[in-house]
Amino acid sequence: MTVASYLFVAACLFGIGLYGLLQRRSLVAMLIALELMLAAVSINVVALTTLAGRDGSLGQVVALILVGVAAAEAAIALSLFVAIHRARHTIDVEQLSELTG
Amino acid sequence: MSGPVLAAVLAQAAPLAACLTILIGLRARPRAAAGLATLSLVVALGATAYLVVVVAVPNVHWVAQTTWLPVADGPALAFGVFFDPLAATMSFVVAFITLAVMVYSLGYMAGDPGFARYFGFLALFAWAMLGLVLASNLLQVLVFWELVGLASFLLIGFWFEQSAPAAAARKAFLMTRVGDVGFLLGVLLLVRALGNATISDVVAAAGPAGVFSPRFTTTVALLLLMGVIGKSAQGPLFTWLPDAMEGPTPVSALLHSATMVAAGVFLVARLHGFFAAAPEVMRGLLWLALVTALATATMAMVAEDIKRVLAYSTISQLGYMLMALAAGSVTAGFFHLTTHAGFKALLFMASGIFIHHAHSNDMRVIATKQPRSQRAGVIGLVSGSLALAGVIPFSGYFSKEAVLTTLGQHAGTAALALAYLGAGLTAYYTFRMVFLTVGQGAAGRRAVGAVGDAVGSGQDHAPNAGDRAMASVVLVLSVLTLVLGYLGGWLGARLGHEGVEHGPFALGAGPLVALALVAAGIALAWVEFGRRGAARAGFAERVPALRDFFGDNWYVDRLYGATLVRWGTALSRAARWHDHTVLDGASDGVASGAVWGGRILARVQAGYVQAYVAVAISLIAALGVWLVRRGGLP
Repeated sequence: MTVASYLFVAACLFGIGLYGLLQRRSLVAMLIALELMLAAVSINVVALTTLAGRDGSLGQVVALILVGVAAAEAAIALSLFVAIHRARHTIDVEQLSELTG
Repeated sequence: MSGPVLAAVLAQAAPLAACLTILIGLRARPRAAAGLATLSLVVALGATAYLVVVVAVPNVHWVAQTTWLPVADGPALAFGVFFDPLAATMSFVVAFITLAVMVYSLGYMAGDPGFARYFGFLALFAWAMLGLVLASNLLQVLVFWELVGLASFLLIGFWFEQSAPAAAARKAFLMTRVGDVGFLLGVLLLVRALGNATISDVVAAAGPAGVFSPRFTTTVALLLLMGVIGKSAQGPLFTWLPDAMEGPTPVSALLHSATMVAAGVFLVARLHGFFAAAPEVMRGLLWLALVTALATATMAMVAEDIKRVLAYSTISQLGYMLMALAAGSVTAGFFHLTTHAGFKALLFMASGIFIHHAHSNDMRVIATKQPRSQRAGVIGLVSGSLALAGVIPFSGYFSKEAVLTTLGQHAGTAALALAYLGAGLTAYYTFRMVFLTVGQGAAGRRAVGAVGDAVGSGQDHAPNAGDRAMASVVLVLSVLTLVLGYLGGWLGARLGHEGVEHGPFALGAGPLVALALVAAGIALAWVEFGRRGAARAGFAERVPALRDFFGDNWYVDRLYGATLVRWGTALSRAARWHDHTVLDGASDGVASGAVWGGRILARVQAGYVQAYVAVAISLIAALGVWLVRRGGLP
């Protein structure tokens, strides 16, 4: 397995995540898509640090930190969604467009 | 500070303090304002009288000067006081006439809503003129010169809510400003050449031993004379003065005698040593003044408004003063300035009594309102007219004689003959005014009664108790017309004997010719206007063409109206179009462009999060592509 194959998987994951982020209208689905993109980034980090001539442990540490960040992000985002749902009774982004110019 | 310096400072500070106090704090208290202004002029009069005693009587000359704004490697600008008989005497005349006008105004202006403002402006006028007279430096002169112009603008336009006084004030200001441009340029040239503009240095530099080339002196003299011509209403710039009659009559008395128009003549006397170094300029000034004097005399012959007659006579007499100065005699010119200040202020104040009484400036209307019952007015008008006409032994005779003697010695026969002719015309128009105003008995009143009822313009004041103040001032000045004529020898001993060396009663051929012409002028006026059954129409008035030509300022104003005013108006219109269309259009275009652009850009912000994300990611992707193409990060 070469580094390129890891990168290919990451690119696929990123593309799927991006598609989901732009396509889905539910905030929860968009968050899931965002998590996919974040996972793609983690894979990239781990794969690319092996090219840097070290043993790759730096990348693994960064990936672990990213998992933590993603968890924190998910917690904050989900609580926001709950708050939005309480106020507006919807989490459809097309309904949430008051901030127009 | 020594005594004279203190007196000079006091003479200027008192009117200034009064002016500021009145205009800032006493606008609503007319009696206090009038009292304060009059008091300040009493102080100034005392201070200038002291100057006359310690400077003019012992005939000393010195300058007290201090540096103002020292500039490294630049002109050392200075200000100070010029102590010599000319400045001391002139400052006394200014203070005296202004005080007389103020006392007179207590009666004349009583009840006017702007009473306090009026006295504040009068004090401003006095300060400006005293500052100009006592200045030791031409830059200082320039400052006060403009202040004098400002004060006369404010006073001519005192009744600014009426359109005619406002227009007259604007005209006076703009017309004198034309000349002032030249004056400013002249002073700047002097500062550049000398490093300063101290009057004594300027005069010294222009003399035969001085540093100025004749060409430079001529140029600067011409430029300075532009200011003089504007200020003293000579040559082509005279038409503002007749219009200035729209101001209150006491203002005219002040404006025409010791301030404003006198400033130009005084400047020529002050800088006489400088101007004398440009003989061809002086020759031009002589002829300009002569033509002005004769032209305005003809205008005075047909005017119906008593104040216009006096205004034309002022221009004419200013011409005589400038002629004497141009011919080389400071004494004769300044002597005539002094006597003229006395009798012209008197004539205006006497006519003011009639105007006050008759509510009209028109001489034929005044004649219908029993003018002879105004005893002080009649005395003032007659004695002032005798002085203006130059009848022995009134003051005007002596000073005009000094002027004519000077012309005879230095100006050639042609100029002298024309000046004699002018003297005859002066006597004619002066007594035309006297006979038209107060010369008629009951028969004449009936004949013109219809005119009087039809014309009812003029000042609208009710008679009041201030009449006594007006009468007393007029009587004092009437006595002065008999006294001032003996000043000539005294002035001659201090300013040079040119023109007055023969003393006041030298009855040679010259005085006899002048007196004969004056007598002829008076006789003609009597035949046409004075005697019982006279036609009351002058020889010039019977020819319609002449009457229109003389009565319309020799069409000078029409010429200005058809050319300069029209061009100026066209230029203003073009400028307004440019301003409204091009400049305003450009800024409006920028504004509406911003609004329009904002509306377009606002559509992008639709509130759809996913659209924002799409844009952001496409931009990042584009950036990435560009970076890869470029070969990596910088």
